[in-house]
Amino acid sequence: MRTTMHMHGRLATLALVLVFVFVGMAAFAGGAQEAAVERDTITIAIGAEPEALDPVNMTSAPAATVGEHAIQRLIYMEEDGSLTPMLATEWESSADGTEWTFQIRQGVQFHDGEPLNAEAVKANLDRFVDPEVGAAYAFLLGSVEEIEAVSEYELRLHLAEPFAPILSHLSHSFIGIISPASFADLGPDDTTDAAVGTGPYELVEWSRGDSITMVRNEDYWGPAPEIPHLVFRFIPEDSARMVALETGEADAVMRVPPQDADRLDADPEIDVVYQTSVRTIYIGFNSQSEPFDDPLVRKAFNYAVDKDAIVDAILDGNAFVADAPVVPAVFGHTSVGPYEYDPDRARELLAEAGYPDGLSATLHHPTGRYLLDSTIAEAVQGMLTEVGLDITLETREWGAYLDFTGQPVDQAEYQMFMLGWGTVTLDSDYGLYALLHTRQWNPAGNNRGFYSNERVDDILDRARVETDPSVREELYAEAIELIWDDAPWLYLHNEGQINAQRADVGGLIHHPLENVSAWEAFFIDD
Amino acid sequence: MYQYIARRLLLTVPVIFGVAILVFSIIRLIPGDPARAIAGVQASPEFIQQVRARYRLDEPLPVQFGIFLGDLARGELGRSTFSRRPVATEIGERFPRTFLLAMTALVIATIVGVSAGIVSATRRNSMFDNVSMLFALVGVAAPVFWMALMLQLLFAVNMRILPATGIGTWRHLVLPSITLGMASAGLMARITRSSMLEVLRQDFITTARAKGLNERFVIYKHALKNALIPVVTVMGLQFGILLGGAVLTETVFAWPGIGRLLVDSILRRDYPVVQGTVMLMAFLFVIINLVVDITYAFLDPRIHYQGEAGE
Repeated sequence: MRTTMHMHGRLATLALVLVFVFVGMAAFAGGAQEAAVERDTITIAIGAEPEALDPVNMTSAPAATVGEHAIQRLIYMEEDGSLTPMLATEWESSADGTEWTFQIRQGVQFHDGEPLNAEAVKANLDRFVDPEVGAAYAFLLGSVEEIEAVSEYELRLHLAEPFAPILSHLSHSFIGIISPASFADLGPDDTTDAAVGTGPYELVEWSRGDSITMVRNEDYWGPAPEIPHLVFRFIPEDSARMVALETGEADAVMRVPPQDADRLDADPEIDVVYQTSVRTIYIGFNSQSEPFDDPLVRKAFNYAVDKDAIVDAILDGNAFVADAPVVPAVFGHTSVGPYEYDPDRARELLAEAGYPDGLSATLHHPTGRYLLDSTIAEAVQGMLTEVGLDITLETREWGAYLDFTGQPVDQAEYQMFMLGWGTVTLDSDYGLYALLHTRQWNPAGNNRGFYSNERVDDILDRARVETDPSVREELYAEAIELIWDDAPWLYLHNEGQINAQRADVGGLIHHPLENVSAWEAFFIDD
Repeated sequence: MYQYIARRLLLTVPVIFGVAILVFSIIRLIPGDPARAIAGVQASPEFIQQVRARYRLDEPLPVQFGIFLGDLARGELGRSTFSRRPVATEIGERFPRTFLLAMTALVIATIVGVSAGIVSATRRNSMFDNVSMLFALVGVAAPVFWMALMLQLLFAVNMRILPATGIGTWRHLVLPSITLGMASAGLMARITRSSMLEVLRQDFITTARAKGLNERFVIYKHALKNALIPVVTVMGLQFGILLGGAVLTETVFAWPGIGRLLVDSILRRDYPVVQGTVMLMAFLFVIINLVVDITYAFLDPRIHYQGEAGE
């Protein structure tokens, strides 16, 4: 009997030993492998997978981040918002602003060896605006009536009427130019993910759900990247993404959770990178229903919330209190705010509006869509309670939330809703028109709070067609002042982005448009 | 036996049909417009309408269901509204990854769980029994994501001997499969132990011992085989759960399998992918159950299935 028991003990031990051997062998193999690897690959971990690498089917920031390494557009927007030549070398508009002529860069070829010329660009833009194809961002070129290849390297856009933001629209990452051969045989509903562009990197492999691998384009028209291989990995779970950076599996990560930033920064092997974004976070009021049809109430709410406290205490300094409805990097921005935190003033305004005893309202907010959104909603609730307001919080899953806050005015059941908006073209038209013009009320546009001011409408219309940039700037300054004073939103903050990278990586571009670009990256030798 | 299998397979048709109705309706009950989810917050209403038309989301529900069934009958699962690629391709790429993970986890769970269970049963109330049952309890009760993070912290961050995330080599498989396997191992240890204890009390074991048979022979030949029936049931169920329910493990280890595909697709309101994935999981579950039932007959000669001689 004793022998038998001994045997059982051994069986269990054997099972445990097997598991440890499994781990041990893996570890040993790992050690050997890591030593042999040369650093010829830079790995960037991002939180989501691109939905596509076909410009007509791109809709998300991850698609833009990955895509722009392989696919380029006519004009590039620098980190400071200035526009510089990319596949177009120069451009000019006709005197009346309805014709724009672009010189296409010569001597450039796509990854498949096909030449870049005006015809190729025309084929791309035609496809981009083709209603049959249904590109999500076709509206960016909504003002374009005809696309003409004037000569081999000259392209002309004919506009129905002058549309001032056209150049910044053309710089959008989704208006990428790919080899016409890669979509020539596709039906209108089909798409290609081959990403045959002109960029500094070429697509090698897309392992769905896991990663995209690229290799340096040896025939690149510009300065060739220093690092031969580029890998984007998709790691949605925040903690897993941070672990990947800490272990060196990733050389850089996007979207560091604010609560992890200090811990990562304390690691000498890791640098945390703070950058502004173009996203403004606000709480919209339903201006067409009581009590928020009264500007005094809306202003009172603005005075009652301590934005500095939100930025400092909740977002750990990784945001900027909003001083206008658009972020400072946007063309046309003018600083008019913030509403200083003043609870007494808030109480006075409420009394003046006929609510001396405060009022009740429901604040709807998304959870997990913006940095610490639900925590911020709770803080706002607390501050509003201080001035005698009774605020109920309600959250919904993102898809349902968009639906709920997208109802037409006669069906809208909401009073206050938290949202963010990225002015990705860095032009005030994009940030103000769709959100605050009367013609953009739900469901036509994104004016979810049904704000309406005839003077603002008129200015926004004029600024759209005005071709003189300095006049446009004045117009937007005037509109922003009016909007600020009407307080259709509770203006909160402009989100920052937190990325992080290994300390031995240099040259990564952390762009305000929420891209990380690797074409100038290099490894620092110790 | 073959008749039985054929009939069981035939029975999967109504089951799958039922699942089809359920998944089709449930995903449509979730609030949120898929066209809006596809088009994004900054899209124009015209574009949202276009998207609706492209995926025939503007048709009445019965018509949509008809289209879905028609596609299904032809073996078509439609196209993802997120990537616009065929659902079969999406699933085909990810399923092998999940299968590999679940299979490895099951092997680990079986080796560790069954052997711990046997030893615990034969050395009841010993130190080994108490300790291993405590571990089994922890294995079952510890949240998967906590276990995953602890393993990552120890082996990947501190010791740097294993990759924490991703796929590619078999080394990537180690931490996720241990995480996934441990919970099942705990359950299997407990089931094996109680089943063994039950069998060891029975008369034929006493008889076998009385005959003077070697104790090892009694335990492995007589007792274990009879004790395995509930263990096999649990193994089968666990495998089904591992295949479909590895979502947390897949998420923490960035393992791009079918569980994560399902969760991502639900969040994106990608109806075709959700439908396809759930249908596949239901089908697998039915098949695994069938295999488990057939295994009984091999383990216990007293079990026969209708239509077989000797019933």
